[in-house]
Amino acid sequence: MPNNLPEIIEQVKLSLGAFVPEISLSALFLLVITLDMVLNEKRVVIPMVSLVGFVITGFFTWQQLDMPNQEYFLRMHVVDPFAVFFKFLFLGAGALAVLITMDSEELGEKNVANIGEYYAVLIAMVLGMFLMASASDMLMMFLALELVSISSYILTGYLKHQIKSSEASLKYIIYGAVSSGLMVYGMSLIYGLTGQTNIYEIAKFISANEVDEVTLTLAALLVMGGFGYKIGAVPFHFWSPDVYEGAPTPVTAFLSVGSKAAGFAMLIRFFKVAIPAEPTGELAFDWVNFFALIALVSMLLGNFAAIWQSNVKRMLAYSSIAHAGYLLLGVLVADDLGTQAVMFYLAAYTVMTVGAFYVVILIANKIGSDDVNDYRGLGKRMPLTAAALTVFLVSLTGLPPTVGFIGKYMIFTALLGKGTVFLTLAIIGVLTSAVSLYYYFKIPLNMYLRESEDGAETPMESSAFANALAAFLMILTIGFGLFFTPLANFAKNSVIMLVMN
Amino acid sequence: MTLTLITFLPLIAALITLLIPKEQKQTIRLVSLLAAVGQVILAVVIWQNYNPSLAGVDDVSKFQFVERAAWFSVELGGYTVSADYLMGIDGLSVTMVILTAIVALVGVGASWTIEKSVKSYFVLYNLMSMSMMGCFLALDFFLFYIFWEVTLIPMYFLIGIWGGKNREYAAIKFFIYTLVGSVLMLLAIIALYASVIDPETGRNTFSMVAMANQQNFISGSALAPSEGNLLRALAFFALFLAFVIKVPMVPFHTWLPDAHVEAPTPISVVLAGVLLKLGGYGLLRINFPIFPEVFQQFAWWIALFGVISIVYGAFCAIAQTDFKKMVAYSSVSHMGFVLLGIAAVNSLGMSGAMLQMFSHGLLSPMMFLLVGVIYERAHTREMDKFGGLAKHMPVYAGFIMLAFMGNLGMPALSGFVAEAFVFLGAFAVEQTRLLSVIGTLGILLSAAYLLRAYKAMFTGERKPNAAYEVEGHHGEEHAHFHDWKGKVDLDGREIALLAPLAAIVIIIGVYPAPVLDLIMPSLNRVAEILSAAANVAMK
Amino acid sequence: MGQEISEFGKVFLFLAVGVIFVVLGFVTSRLIRPHRPYTEKLTTYECGEEPKGSAWVQFNIRFYVVALIFIIFDVEVLFLYPWATIFKQVGGYALAVALVFLGVLTLGLIYEWKKGYINWVVPTPNIPKMPTKKFEKPKSLEKPKVAEPETTA
Repeated sequence: MPNNLPEIIEQVKLSLGAFVPEISLSALFLLVITLDMVLNEKRVVIPMVSLVGFVITGFFTWQQLDMPNQEYFLRMHVVDPFAVFFKFLFLGAGALAVLITMDSEELGEKNVANIGEYYAVLIAMVLGMFLMASASDMLMMFLALELVSISSYILTGYLKHQIKSSEASLKYIIYGAVSSGLMVYGMSLIYGLTGQTNIYEIAKFISANEVDEVTLTLAALLVMGGFGYKIGAVPFHFWSPDVYEGAPTPVTAFLSVGSKAAGFAMLIRFFKVAIPAEPTGELAFDWVNFFALIALVSMLLGNFAAIWQSNVKRMLAYSSIAHAGYLLLGVLVADDLGTQAVMFYLAAYTVMTVGAFYVVILIANKIGSDDVNDYRGLGKRMPLTAAALTVFLVSLTGLPPTVGFIGKYMIFTALLGKGTVFLTLAIIGVLTSAVSLYYYFKIPLNMYLRESEDGAETPMESSAFANALAAFLMILTIGFGLFFTPLANFAKNSVIMLVMN
Repeated sequence: MTLTLITFLPLIAALITLLIPKEQKQTIRLVSLLAAVGQVILAVVIWQNYNPSLAGVDDVSKFQFVERAAWFSVELGGYTVSADYLMGIDGLSVTMVILTAIVALVGVGASWTIEKSVKSYFVLYNLMSMSMMGCFLALDFFLFYIFWEVTLIPMYFLIGIWGGKNREYAAIKFFIYTLVGSVLMLLAIIALYASVIDPETGRNTFSMVAMANQQNFISGSALAPSEGNLLRALAFFALFLAFVIKVPMVPFHTWLPDAHVEAPTPISVVLAGVLLKLGGYGLLRINFPIFPEVFQQFAWWIALFGVISIVYGAFCAIAQTDFKKMVAYSSVSHMGFVLLGIAAVNSLGMSGAMLQMFSHGLLSPMMFLLVGVIYERAHTREMDKFGGLAKHMPVYAGFIMLAFMGNLGMPALSGFVAEAFVFLGAFAVEQTRLLSVIGTLGILLSAAYLLRAYKAMFTGERKPNAAYEVEGHHGEEHAHFHDWKGKVDLDGREIALLAPLAAIVIIIGVYPAPVLDLIMPSLNRVAEILSAAANVAMK
Repeated sequence: MGQEISEFGKVFLFLAVGVIFVVLGFVTSRLIRPHRPYTEKLTTYECGEEPKGSAWVQFNIRFYVVALIFIIFDVEVLFLYPWATIFKQVGGYALAVALVFLGVLTLGLIYEWKKGYINWVVPTPNIPKMPTKKFEKPKSLEKPKVAEPETTA
């Protein structure tokens, strides 16, 4: 670590080279707000500019694949395949969010006058997620998390004339403030114990010195509060049903995939690096069992609470809690296989969840409701859309031949053969996924098995673009379900995380 | 290519159907019919070219029509997960493939009268037909699992959209029941993959054929056959649950009466004719040969539950007033014979079980078709609403008689051969002797409910509150069937559907040798595998 | 024997004593104090002034906007000060960095200006009414109402 000024400056200059994707996103953000000022017609230009910006950022991110695994910016920022994988995921989720926003009536001209800012904040959120995936210092982690959080508060409350949206935003802020407070407190305890903020240094200190176990446990629990809130796992999930329901649906979609993935990226890095199991095989803080408990409760509560929901967005909120549980199963095995499974699952989850929310948007555009009982008879009226939603739900349930099945398969593969506790968790996992079928299929049940109350059968298909996008996501869901080798191998090559040096 | 073709022919039909405008109902039906006829032709080709002397079961080289292609190979953490597109036929599957082709064709024929959303119906029907066929042909467990699960989704919609009054409940109940079984199977598959290697490549494999040979288990792995390996018992029961829910075995049978009663006729036909056989096939092909020693340990219990299914199903059937529900419970009862036959662990009992699957796969579609005929005409299935039908519908009564006799095990019909083999097989083994004696009670009971039903509906005179009326007309008594769409007795299409089934039932009843020739070598091999484990267990 | 209280034990003792002290105080005062509330006692205490209205007033949003903008530029100074101390050592590179930093902030300012967020919106006065109901005399002090004689129409 350099401590004289010229060296520091030199390292910062060098680090800029590893920061190109982030710089590109920042420039995109500035460009978008400038365009927002000067343009009159923003509804097409700004999203297009954002998409192009994402593509360019994607190119820069792709170039990072060949970069050496190293820390930059005075050990604040890491570039490794693990981070790059997540960056691609965030870009994909962000691009999908932009695409599905363009089609949303909720955020259409009637309801929202000022859409330029929306895209700007969205880009800021993607930037925050980039930083979350790369952060290797607790300070940076906190800042990145806050950037994502604050952006998501704004987006959640974007429909400021709708009480539900504002209410959701306020609840989100309050829960968010509490959990980041908890997290900062936990981090400060860790700093107090080890005198370090860099996660690699923390790991070094913990393995070299005796650390007070109670305090470390307390600190890790508190830090988990912050992570748990981002990934939406029980018992930090209380915000999610209200926020999912109240937020504009494209935002809900983005929160449910982007925020969750970013939370997992940071959580995996933090716990795997800062509190590693090796070399003695013993954990300073037994987070495996702790995660097992959280995962168990999340799967049970998420799946069972979803049964009683009739609002589709709320139902998907509980389902996302359950999925956080499944993902934690992959995290807690704490080996490369588990991490790979989590990464694959997150990619799969992104495709199917964004798809599901997109169809929910398309349907809401036509019938103006998110209630499952209003979906009656849609199978006939919107055949393609309804079929796509069914495919996404089948995938969320984890049935073949969809990508969701492969994701679950990998998670359970990671769990088996590692002892009774994991076996029990796997059994509960598969059984709860059978439970999830019941509520997911309430939607096809209403769409296909019931006639609409007024007997309306007039077709009301969406635009060709919307159909194409829905069909694309549907094909992706099934295609990756049958031929998933490239994605799985990409995840496999990306589990390489910069470990202690 | 034969197996790929016979499996994916319906998929092609489904894709073509998607392109046809939905107004052209007749074209849509014809496309499906064409695919089903194609399947039957291919099944006949397979049957003609099948060499019965090769056993298969645990030796890939003794499978026929084998198709193998690498499907995927994924690096997962420490090891590679790779599955093959592996299909093949041996004595366990050849009869089932023929049966599936026949029943699928009959199902298309029975679907001719469906008028509601014809296009979606046939797309789903073909998807289901594809996945059923795939289940019987797949030798790779991963592939099998995908086909296995894919049967559920079309089935859900077919029952749920085209079913009767209580269809929503029946559809989701069917789905959840079978899914709970199969998700546990998934865990067993993962564990098996980690424990078994393919002797040819030396790598881990999903091949069921390799799994059926205990030598291929990696020693020390989770499911390695060793003394008191509890995990093996767990995996055994995970698979067992999945398959017996499909069979269905009492007490996991409750989805079946609901699904059957609500499903439209062609779906009942396919459900009873093929889907239930998937359970029995899975037990014979996968569950028992992979875990023979666990099976041996629990053979008596399996036989017991088989007998319970036989007797309990029969008693339930006696209690029914709804014709279709009675037939559904009789399915539970007759599928119990399959369990009893396999649990006897000798080739006689197993061949009985296999024959029973084949025979029931022909008889139960007949029964459901016949139920469908009467329901379509009278819009009721309450048996006491009918009476004296034999006079008005002589051809119908004839077919009913044949189906009933076949079901209750009348000699010279297929049911008799099958059930006799099962009893002989079970009686020959000491531990199942008593159970087989109790099981014969099932035949007695099925005679009771079937003959009672026949008497109520077909003999005697029309009942005062009958579902049809008789009017005096020009001095003659003339049956006037309200709402029967001018049809009284069977029409040409219905006879065309029933007659082939009836013919096969009679042929097998009189001369079962062709079927036995096909299945015996493989069954002998299975019996060897199972009893070898018994010997080891005794030592 | 001879066990010493650990550092955490001391903290715990401190916490416990604090909690007990507060709870004890409240409980005893609750037990021994007289309970005679009336309007004047129940109104908010505003340094002896008569309360003019509820404290739950919505302040005009422009105060927040101004405060936020102020904070941003306040923080800017905070960042520029250390920069200034090393400017001489680093030179041109530092200038470039600071210019980017200031450029971003300026863009933000222009954005706010253009969007009209710093327009001083003249508020339409919306003086909150005194929610008088809350401050009615407590029931215990009111004279019992004399039941009005029922009039039959």
